[in-house]
Amino acid sequence: MIDAHAVNLGPNGMLIVNVVLLSMIGWGLLKTEKNITTQSDLVILSLLAIFAISGRILLEPLPNIQPVTVIVLLTGIHFGATRSIVLATSVALISNLFLGHGLWTIYQALGWSLIGVFGALISNKIYINNSISINPLMFIAGASGFIFDWIVSISALHVISSDIFFLYILSGIPFDILHASGNMFFVAWFAIPLSEIMTRHVSIKQPSVVDNFAKTRV
Amino acid sequence: MNPLIIYAGTFLIVAALIFMSVEQKILAKSMASFTLVFILLTFSSASTEWNRYTSEFVDEADNPHYGLPDLWDDKQAVCFHFPADFAPSNLDDGRHHFDYDGTDFKTDKDWNSTGACVGGFEGYTNGLDLFNAAVESTGTTFAYNYTEFSFGWQIDTISGVAPCEAFTCAVDFSSGAYWELLHNGAYSMVGISDLELDSNSVVTWQIASY
Repeated sequence: MIDAHAVNLGPNGMLIVNVVLLSMIGWGLLKTEKNITTQSDLVILSLLAIFAISGRILLEPLPNIQPVTVIVLLTGIHFGATRSIVLATSVALISNLFLGHGLWTIYQALGWSLIGVFGALISNKIYINNSISINPLMFIAGASGFIFDWIVSISALHVISSDIFFLYILSGIPFDILHASGNMFFVAWFAIPLSEIMTRHVSIKQPSVVDNFAKTRV
Repeated sequence: MNPLIIYAGTFLIVAALIFMSVEQKILAKSMASFTLVFILLTFSSASTEWNRYTSEFVDEADNPHYGLPDLWDDKQAVCFHFPADFAPSNLDDGRHHFDYDGTDFKTDKDWNSTGACVGGFEGYTNGLDLFNAAVESTGTTFAYNYTEFSFGWQIDTISGVAPCEAFTCAVDFSSGAYWELLHNGAYSMVGISDLELDSNSVVTWQIASY
């Protein structure tokens, strides 16, 4: 049978197909997000996870460029450390089921979790008056690319001597730069819309004391 | 000039032009987009240059690649060792290392012989094919002459250096010199045209005397 299966796309052709698919997923998630009525932030976190996993898998032809680091960082800033750790670990595990799962998944989950926790720690310095500061966030996202890669590089110590670890890190710097520049690109183009979406779905903490008081009164 | 310096200079100039000419509200997007595209376009070449720059010499004496850049681990190389005072003028300060595209990227000035290695080749199964690939990748630097005998080839000169220029060769053949072929550090029992290679073979030419 002659159909699209017979078409042999090159790497550039596949990349275009993947970017189109990712755009369709992003557009679909954006539309879906506008119809979310629940106050729980779990739904938006699930949508973000889908986008991060799709982005990591579909952008695989581009070395070390994917949206996960920025999404985890923004999740830490908006939803806090715990949720960013859940998101980071889930994205690392599920995307690695497609890309290759192994010992390194733990280091990737750890790296992204730490970036999420860092985002939570600096939240009140980056997110001011319901607005995210793009320039510092770009710098942090760029630095996060290096830090994540170096954390994952620690996994190499299972197979190489610590004597050559520094050289190993040094030889990976071009890939670190790609990760950093990819993160800065994602921040420049997507941080504001993503931040607005996240802001709309941050759970409002229930005033438990007042709530209890009200129930007691009734 | 090192391509890394050219890339860095080009990047800084274009980034400065963008910074001066683009409106503030789209500056971040413009800079980030330019940076990513520029790095993607130059990545392959820049990464190769960086790997050359950061490579180290293999220091395990029992490794066939002993003394060669670790960039060539699991790859094939051809070395040319010249006697002292007979190395080509640009290769007389140690052992130079040329990558597969002819780039002279690293020199070991402490190596115990002068000359050069050409490496980073993959997939060659025949010694002569690898030898020719190494010679061709470096232009005329290691051009050679040979005489074909019934038992195989005899290399007469490499880089214009004939063994009997460096050593005394008697007319009655009681003493002489020749280009000796080593495979992975050991004397080869077959000629270059019959030599079967491994995926990480190191072929060495050096002048031996008797």
